[in-house]
Amino acid sequence: MSVINENRLEPASKASRLACVAEGSEGEVTVRRTARGIRGKTPMEKVVNDFTFNIATANGTGSQSANLILLHSMFEMGLPVSGKNLFPSNISGLPTWYIVRVSEAGYQAPGDRTHIQVLMNKATWAKDLAALEPGSVVIYNTNVKLPVERDDIIAYPVPMTKIARSLHPKLARMIANIIYVGAIAELVGIDQAVLEKAIAKQFKGKQSAIEMNITAVNLAREYVAENIEKSDPYCLEAREKDPNTFLVEGNEATALGSIFGGVTMLSWYPITPSSSVAEEIIDYIPQLRTDSDGKVTCAVIQAEDELAAAGMVVGAGWAGGRSMTCTSGPGISLMSEFIGLSYFAEVPGVIWDINRVGPSTGLPTRTQQGDVSLLYEAGHGDTKHIVLFPGTVEECFEFGWRAFDYAEHYQTMVFGFSDLDLGMNFWVCDGFDYPEKMDRGKVLHTQEELDAIENYGRYRDVDGDGICYRTLPGSGLKPILTRGTGRDEDGVYSEDPATYVATMERLKNKIEGSRTALPQPVLREEAEQEVGIIYFGSMENTIQEIDDQLESTGRKVSQCRVRALPLSPVVEEFVQNHETIIVLEVNRDGQMYGILRKELPIDLVPRVHSVAFSDGIPPRARVYSDMILEKLEEVGA
Amino acid sequence: MTIKLNIIELPKSDYQGGPSSLCPGCGHDQISSVIINAAWENGIAPENIAKMSGIGCSSKTPAYFLGKSHGFNTLHGRMPSVTTGANVTNKDMQFIAVSGDGDTASIGIGQFVHAIRRNLNMVYIIENNGVYGLTKGQYSATVEVGSAKRKAEPNEQVPIDLCAMAINLGCTFVARSFSGAKKQLTSLIRAAMSHRGTAVIDVISPCVTFANNDEFFRSYGYVKDNDMELHAYDYIPHFTPLEEVEIPEGEFQDISLFDGSTLRLETVESGHDTSDAVAALSQIHRAEQEKRHVTGLLYYNPGPKTLDEWLELSETPLADLSEEQMRPSEADLAALLAEFRE
Repeated sequence: MSVINENRLEPASKASRLACVAEGSEGEVTVRRTARGIRGKTPMEKVVNDFTFNIATANGTGSQSANLILLHSMFEMGLPVSGKNLFPSNISGLPTWYIVRVSEAGYQAPGDRTHIQVLMNKATWAKDLAALEPGSVVIYNTNVKLPVERDDIIAYPVPMTKIARSLHPKLARMIANIIYVGAIAELVGIDQAVLEKAIAKQFKGKQSAIEMNITAVNLAREYVAENIEKSDPYCLEAREKDPNTFLVEGNEATALGSIFGGVTMLSWYPITPSSSVAEEIIDYIPQLRTDSDGKVTCAVIQAEDELAAAGMVVGAGWAGGRSMTCTSGPGISLMSEFIGLSYFAEVPGVIWDINRVGPSTGLPTRTQQGDVSLLYEAGHGDTKHIVLFPGTVEECFEFGWRAFDYAEHYQTMVFGFSDLDLGMNFWVCDGFDYPEKMDRGKVLHTQEELDAIENYGRYRDVDGDGICYRTLPGSGLKPILTRGTGRDEDGVYSEDPATYVATMERLKNKIEGSRTALPQPVLREEAEQEVGIIYFGSMENTIQEIDDQLESTGRKVSQCRVRALPLSPVVEEFVQNHETIIVLEVNRDGQMYGILRKELPIDLVPRVHSVAFSDGIPPRARVYSDMILEKLEEVGA
Repeated sequence: MTIKLNIIELPKSDYQGGPSSLCPGCGHDQISSVIINAAWENGIAPENIAKMSGIGCSSKTPAYFLGKSHGFNTLHGRMPSVTTGANVTNKDMQFIAVSGDGDTASIGIGQFVHAIRRNLNMVYIIENNGVYGLTKGQYSATVEVGSAKRKAEPNEQVPIDLCAMAINLGCTFVARSFSGAKKQLTSLIRAAMSHRGTAVIDVISPCVTFANNDEFFRSYGYVKDNDMELHAYDYIPHFTPLEEVEIPEGEFQDISLFDGSTLRLETVESGHDTSDAVAALSQIHRAEQEKRHVTGLLYYNPGPKTLDEWLELSETPLADLSEEQMRPSEADLAALLAEFRE
C-alpha cells in the first residue's frame, strides 16, 4: 500500500470528477493506495442516495456553515435529506457532530449507523473511529496528525488544514471545514453548480466569503481527484426537486406563525434552544410588522428573567394584546406562578416551550419531550392547560398563529410544545397556509354590548360554555380589580366555599370544552387493529421508519399522532379500537402515558403500555422499534 | 347642595373605591385617600387609569380607590413586569402602581430595578412600613439598623434604601414622603401623575399593628419628630394658568412637568437641587447617619425616553389594532414563500 504524498498540493490539470466511479466498475472496484487495509479486489454494490454522514468537528470553528452548505446542496439535488446538529453547551472548543442523512425512503431520523465519517476533531477522534462499523468510510484531516488504525474501513486522508492554509493562512482553521465539503462533494458526486448556489445562500451577499469558499471547494475537489481513488460504494444521484419545497428550521416557522398570528408583544429571556424563535421574530418585524412611518405593531422586550417575561405576557394579555414568550424547561419552572395566575384570573397568553433535556440544567443543547406533564398542569393547585404539539415545520407555523386564537377564545395560557430537534434543525417544508380569520374571544367593546348581557359579571357564565365576557382596561366598561385570589362572579374578593367550588368547576368545564376544538389527532389505521402507537411532536419524523421496521417483522401497526392536550375523544376511540396500545415518547417516565392512564376509562388502561426513552439524541428508529417489539413480547401481544 | 366637580366634570365619588379591610389607622388608607384626591384634582378620566399592585397589605389597596378604573392585583413582587406588558399594549393609559417594602425591596427587587432601567411610564408608589404586615410583622429589608419593632430585638442588617437605589439606576422622578404628610404627598403624587417616565415615590407608611412604637424608626411618632423636608410643594395643574397663581413670598423654583403642569418648590432652605443626583444621594445618606428621614422630591430628570418611545410603537395602542394591522397580508406570505423557494 502506498502512502500519498501530503506535500503535493499542485492543482490537478484535469480534475477528473471521481464521483460514482463505482458506477462503471461493474460492482467491483480496485482499491489501491488510499483505502488502507482493504487490499486487492473487493466486490461492491453501489449504494445510491441512502446513507448517513457524521461530521465530527470542534464547536466554534465555523463547521456549522460548512455543514449547512452540504445539507442545502443535497436538498438542491432533489434528495430527501435531513441534518441534525449535535452541539455542546459551549461557544468554542467542545465537540460537535453533524449528522446528514440521505434517504430515498424519506426517513428523517438520524440513521442507525454512520456510513461516512468525517474526522476533524482531535478530542473525539479515537472514539468516533472506534464506533464505526466495518466497511465504513472515513474522510480525515491528516493535519490533525492522529492515526487511523483500523484495517476494516475505507480511509481517505486529506490534508485539510494544509490546503486551507495555502488559501488563507489566518483563516485556515475555519476554511478546513469547507475543504471536507469539497472532498465529500467530489467523492459522492455533488454537482459544483449546486454547491456554489448553496455557498452563495449561506453567505448571503458576502462576495469575498463566497469567492473564498468556492475556491476552497475547488482546491479540495482537485486534491481528491488527483490523490484519492474512490473505493467506497456511496453515491448521490440527483432527483427531480419539488420546486415548492424549501428547508426551514422549526423555530423560524414558529416565529413566522406567531407574526402572522398577530403577536403584539414578545417578551423573552435568552435560553437554548428557544432563543431563535425570538430572534427570528425580531428579524422579521421590519419586513412584516412595521408601518410606513417606521412604527412597529409588535413590542419586543428582552426581560430580566423568565418570571418577568411571563409577567409581561400576562400584563399584555390582560390589556388586550396578543402576547407571547418563548423558553425552555428551566424557564417554564420559573414561569409557573404566572401560568397559574393566567389560568385562575383568565388572562390570555402564549408560551412556546422548545424542550431540551432536563431535569435542572440537564443537557441544555440536546432534545427531549420531557416537559409534557409540567406544561399540562403547571402552577400550584388544580390547573389544566392547553398544549399544542406541532410535529412538522408546517404545523409550527400553523400552531404559531392558532395558539393566539385559542388563548383569547379560552382566556387562558396556551402552550406551544416544540423541541430542540424540531426547532433548531432544518426540515423540508411544502409552504405555509395563510391563517383563518382571527378569533379574539369574548370581549365587550361598547356599552351596548355590555347592556345586552343580563346581570353582567366578569366571571358570570351566561353562555354555559364556561367562558365569560371580559372588558379591557381603557374601556371604562364594568372595571374590576383582576386578581389571583378567590373572587365571585362579579370579580369581587371572596373566600366563600361554594363560590370557590363553582369557579373551579367552571374553569374545568371551560378547558374540557377545548378537547374537540383543538387540533385533532392524525390517524393512520391498519385494518387489523392489533397494535396502535400513540405519539406526538417531533417523533412524527421518525415514526415512518419505526413503522416500516415493525412491519418488516410482520406486525401491523396503526398510529395516532396526538396534536393537543387536553386529549381529543378521538384518542379514546383509537385506544378502544386496538387490542394493544403503545405510547411512544422521548423521555424517561412516559409522561403522555401518565396522562392517558389518568384520563382514560379504567377498563381501557390495561391495554395501554409505555415505551419511553431519551438520551438527548434525536430519536433513532431502531432504538424505539426494538423497545416496542420487546414491550409487545412482554405483554404477550 | 351642589356637588363639586373636577375639570372633566366628575364628582370625587367617581374616584372612590370599596371599603378598606386594613387595620384601622393604617398609613396605607391615608395614601389611598391621597391617590383619590390626586387623580380627581388632576382631572384624569378614571377609565384611562390602570391600577397595578403586587401582594401584601399595600397591594390590597387598589380595591379601595378608583373603583371605575381597571386594575390588576398581580403576584408577589411581580407587579412591574405585568405593568410593563400592559403598558406597551396600551401606552396611552396612566399606570398607578402600589407596592410595599416586602413586595419591592425583597421578592420584587429585580423587577423594580428593571422597570426603572426601562423608564416605564408609571407612578410607582411604595407603601413602606419596614415590616411584613400580612404575615404578622416580620422585619422587611428596608428597616433601619437599630430600629426595633414592638417586643423585639433591634434590626442589625443594613437597610435597602429604595430611593437611593432608584437614583443610582437613573430613575427619572424619585421622591420620599410620609403618609401623615397629606399636603406634601398629594403634591408629589399629582406631580408624579404629570410626569412621563418611572416616578418612584417611597412613602413611609406606619404599621399601626406591628411596628408603631417609638423605638421603630417608621412609627408615626418617630417620623413626625425626625422628618427633614426638602421643600414645601405647590402643584399647579396645566389647566390653571400659572399667572393666576399667587406668587409665594420667599424663594421658589418651578419645575415644568410633561403634561404642562408645574411643581413649585418653596422655602428652599435645604438648597437641594433636584437635578443633582449626587446631592440627592448625599441628602439620603446624611439623613440615614442622623437616623432621620429626608422627604420631598429628591431627583427629577425629564430627559430620557420611556420604554414605549424607544420601542417606537405604532401611534394606535397595540390593544386597539385591527386584524389587518396585526396580521401581514396574503401577498406578504406569498412573497416570503417565494423568497424561501429561491
